[in-house]
Amino acid sequence: MGQNSAAVYAQAIQTALQSVVAPTPVYASFNRNFASEPTFLTWTLRNVHQPVYTGPQINKGIDRPTCGTNVYAQTMATCFAQAQLVVDALHGYQGLLGGLFYVAKIDVDWLYNTFDNDNKLHQIVLDMTFDIPS
Amino acid sequence: MALPNKVLPGFVASLYMQPGAAPTPIATAVLLGTYATVSPFVVAANLLEVEAIPAFGQEDAMANFSVAGSRQSDKIPVQSAPFSLSFIHAWNPTNANLLLVRGDAYSGLIDRTYVIAFVEGANQVLFAFNARAGQFSIDSAPGAEAQCTFTLHPRGNLFGWSNNV
Repeated sequence: MGQNSAAVYAQAIQTALQSVVAPTPVYASFNRNFASEPTFLTWTLRNVHQPVYTGPQINKGIDRPTCGTNVYAQTMATCFAQAQLVVDALHGYQGLLGGLFYVAKIDVDWLYNTFDNDNKLHQIVLDMTFDIPS
Repeated sequence: MALPNKVLPGFVASLYMQPGAAPTPIATAVLLGTYATVSPFVVAANLLEVEAIPAFGQEDAMANFSVAGSRQSDKIPVQSAPFSLSFIHAWNPTNANLLLVRGDAYSGLIDRTYVIAFVEGANQVLFAFNARAGQFSIDSAPGAEAQCTFTLHPRGNLFGWSNNV
């Protein structure tokens, strides 16, 4: 096998985030059209990579991809509350993410909060690192 | 079929082990150049999925002789001890081969034949040696791959090269 499926990761992340912040909408990347909604989340998946070890192709290490998650809300309080929902549910999480694949741990790193003056949206940026067994 | 005529990157090398909880290691005479006896170990079921193959070979011990007043002394190799090889393997508690190595390390007395295979396409060069396992440890620090480390200590003179040419 070349690599765990990033498409499955994506489906699981979408499902997991949706269930955590429901009924707030969750999108796989930012699109300015979504900014009409008062509160929403976006996420991007990056650094999907299993280290390659010696010998046959199957010999690989664990995957530690990062899922960057942005929480948007028109009020600061809502923005913090939504981000806190994600942290409470997923920081240190172990189990079947989105019912699709097993994660040994999720490490949620609350990076910073900011304000988008063009869209009048508060924003909180989280980085989630997944430890995925090979 | 020719031997690989290339400069090979390290990651084409794989470590295989003789199966079974109570193995009878291959005799020295057979380790030396008998591909047909060694190569059956080189199958997926016997693979140890180590991160990398460390440097291996021999280290010389020698006697130094000198005559009082002479300009030069003399070095005579008296031993050729094979290197001990330390491996890192992802720790999988149900990996049958890893459990055999753990058992060997626990025993300390089990000799087993191991094979390092250098492969390019269908061409194989095999380095086979008899060794005991030791220093088996597990590091399960969070935020990283849980790893076990073990060292294979080859028995003196019990190694040999062979190939499928």
